[in-house]
Amino acid sequence: MRARLRPRFPKCTNVRAPRVMLEYVLRRILQLIPTLLFILVVVFALVRLLPGDPASAVLGDRALDADVERINRELGLDQPIPVQFVLFVKSFVTGDLGNSIALKVPVSTLILERLPVTMMLTFMAAVFAVATSVPLAFLAALRRGRATDTVIRSGFQVGLSMPVFFVGLVLLTVFGARLRWFPVGGYGEGFFDHVYHLILPSITLALSLSAVLMRNLRSAVINVLDADYVAFAESKGLRSGIILFRHILRNALISTLAIFGLSIGTLLGGAVITESVFAVPGAGRLMVDSIYGRDYPVVQGLTVALAVLVSLTFLTTDLIQAWLDPRLKK
Amino acid sequence: MKTISLTAVSVAALFAVTLAAEAQERGGVMTYGRYADSLFLDPVLNDANVDIWILSNMYDTLLLPSADGKGVEPGLATEWSVADDAMSVTLTLRDGIKFSDGTPITVEDVVWSLDRARNPDNGIWNFLLASVASVEAPDDKTVKLVLSQPDPAIEAALTVFNAAIMPKAAFEAMPGDTDAAKAEAFAKAPIGSGPFVLTSWDRGSKMELVRNEYYWAEGADGKPLPYLDGLTFEVIPDDATRILRLQSGEIDGAELIPFSRVNELDAAPGINMELFPSTRVQYVTLNVRPEIAGKENPLSDPKVREAMNYAANKMAIIQVVTYGVGTPMQTFMSSATPLAASNGPLYPYDLDKAKALIAESGYPDGFSTSILVLAGNQDEIGIATALQQMWSQIGVKLEILQVDNATRTQEYRDGTFDMRAAAWTNDIADPGQITSYFAYSPTIDALHSGWKSDEVDTLFVASQSEIDPKVRAEQYARIQEIFNTTGPTVPLYETPYPVALQDSVHGFVQIPLGNNIFRETWLEK
Repeated sequence: MRARLRPRFPKCTNVRAPRVMLEYVLRRILQLIPTLLFILVVVFALVRLLPGDPASAVLGDRALDADVERINRELGLDQPIPVQFVLFVKSFVTGDLGNSIALKVPVSTLILERLPVTMMLTFMAAVFAVATSVPLAFLAALRRGRATDTVIRSGFQVGLSMPVFFVGLVLLTVFGARLRWFPVGGYGEGFFDHVYHLILPSITLALSLSAVLMRNLRSAVINVLDADYVAFAESKGLRSGIILFRHILRNALISTLAIFGLSIGTLLGGAVITESVFAVPGAGRLMVDSIYGRDYPVVQGLTVALAVLVSLTFLTTDLIQAWLDPRLKK
Repeated sequence: MKTISLTAVSVAALFAVTLAAEAQERGGVMTYGRYADSLFLDPVLNDANVDIWILSNMYDTLLLPSADGKGVEPGLATEWSVADDAMSVTLTLRDGIKFSDGTPITVEDVVWSLDRARNPDNGIWNFLLASVASVEAPDDKTVKLVLSQPDPAIEAALTVFNAAIMPKAAFEAMPGDTDAAKAEAFAKAPIGSGPFVLTSWDRGSKMELVRNEYYWAEGADGKPLPYLDGLTFEVIPDDATRILRLQSGEIDGAELIPFSRVNELDAAPGINMELFPSTRVQYVTLNVRPEIAGKENPLSDPKVREAMNYAANKMAIIQVVTYGVGTPMQTFMSSATPLAASNGPLYPYDLDKAKALIAESGYPDGFSTSILVLAGNQDEIGIATALQQMWSQIGVKLEILQVDNATRTQEYRDGTFDMRAAAWTNDIADPGQITSYFAYSPTIDALHSGWKSDEVDTLFVASQSEIDPKVRAEQYARIQEIFNTTGPTVPLYETPYPVALQDSVHGFVQIPLGNNIFRETWLEK
């Protein structure tokens, strides 16, 4: 294990490094537990603080008092809130997230159906964002102040300032309806069809993220370019490729990576609108519908699932950062 | 600009049906774009239009609503008769009818289904069958509904989705201890006797249905309906995307086209913009209690309400919000409702009269009030903004409060709102349902407004068991007169159901109650 791990951390000259890393990972995972508990309590309370109850939301304007009372009783919502919370935590620890009030299916089933869709969309968006922003940021930084730089920067500025639903509709109209290169929304069947259907939505979602990443990375690269060790490496006569990847990219990426990690949460939020415009059956739409419908079990289960997802993303980016810059491990 | 009158559309639709009778083609799968997915496909326990409007494609009822939404046609029952004393209905089952799994439909299934539908502990629709005292099966072809009182709406009630016939044995074989638990399992892959069978359901995305081999009705070509091999519902929540998919040919039809796009699609080649007559009415509900949260309520003054009604320029609102598609209301119920009054538009715009009325009222200097609208709902925001400007002319200062649906429903039910925007669609081809909610105070306090008329309450109770059509018509005329002149609403407009179809789609109809009927739909190749 140790032998396999070592080459992945080339900067860790310390023999105990893998162990330090392992402890770090464990510590971070343990830190997740109180975070999740806190989220659980907050979500449980918040969703009940909203005006309206599931029965009224589900039955709508025509509900008679007797119907609302009967449904609230069936759902156990006539119990005192602390009792409800104890029951909720009890079933939660046994892995039972309850049933959706509106859809009458287990929340766990819904999460397993819908969350992977959003994860895939977010992942593809992240890939698109990185694939466009990293090379262009370098190009802009290396051509700082020249026409290329201006074009790249203003291009991304436009991308950043356009609302998601608008970009989505433009892409759908041009590449879907007109050129017929991509389907006009939907999710398709089978893995590759899913990927094909998610190309336009993920580009839409990636747009604002890539703009943020590009701007950040560009200034980071410019800072590093001015650093003494780059000048030193150049004077040593190192090949420019080596300087670029080993010295510039590695150091410039650290701060951008932090932003990237934090943006994943925002990206998941942006997925709500994107999923709606592109008719993608993801968790974002489910979340919005469930909040409007006061579908307490779904909101609770989905929030916790998303919280785990975001926390794991933070953990991963932290680990990569720690690998890039071992000083951060402390 | 092209204006489409409802009459013209209905006539055209009739023509289409007549013409279609000569040239139907069989086969093909139709894809229909819906704005939202269904929630729960149980006829008795569901509670949303997203379910109700498609249920009749999977489940069948003893009687069927006619295409104009006002009459009744044979369904699983071929004949029916109401007893002379109007205390029972006897129906004869069609020969050879089967569920989609091939098992025969028996009188036991019918008795069990209707008993389940009228059980007061089941769902929110049991009131439609409240007059039924018992359901009996004198022989294996006959079903007899014994009534506790005469019910003029009983035939219409037997066409409603909740009276669908379900297979007793298959339902009871489902896992679970309670009816609700069994229904949850059953509704995932329902077995009914409608023209289609659900074969797969990706929640939030897609439903696939195939033709039911055992469906009883015959097409114009003498072979069994439906004409289509299959039917796919795709969920496309965004209006613009739904239209785009239709324009790109990926779907054959799209529901709920925004009014702002109706004229554009009507002019578009290859697309048939249909405006199906509906029972949908749009109005504002006013809380008329003397006090709201301890504060004096100007809306309780009938003169104030009358003034506000005259100051609301409905034609302008129809232009701004529905792009001219809507029509002014003549009574609180839609003109497609049986017994709806038709004495010309209610409260035609008259600012001078409004000013005079407010001067005579207890609030000659005006007052401040508020309206609850759904956040993000462009129609409601448009209505409220227009009313804000119109009512400022008579000194009424209107605050627009954008809230989500559950919040609004809570305030509505608690009776703590001032005003709210609202819409209504009938579920039964009878004026009883809408009148019960709007005007009869024991149901929900007349739209939770606190309005009450003893005369209306008495008339309504009498009308519910009045079997003389002439007397019942008189009762409804009076109820409408009272409600329309003193009631707690500002009636705004009626709108049709805007559905856009490819030109190749024929024989699709959305009836005034909202049901999407695909049983005679066919695709031209």
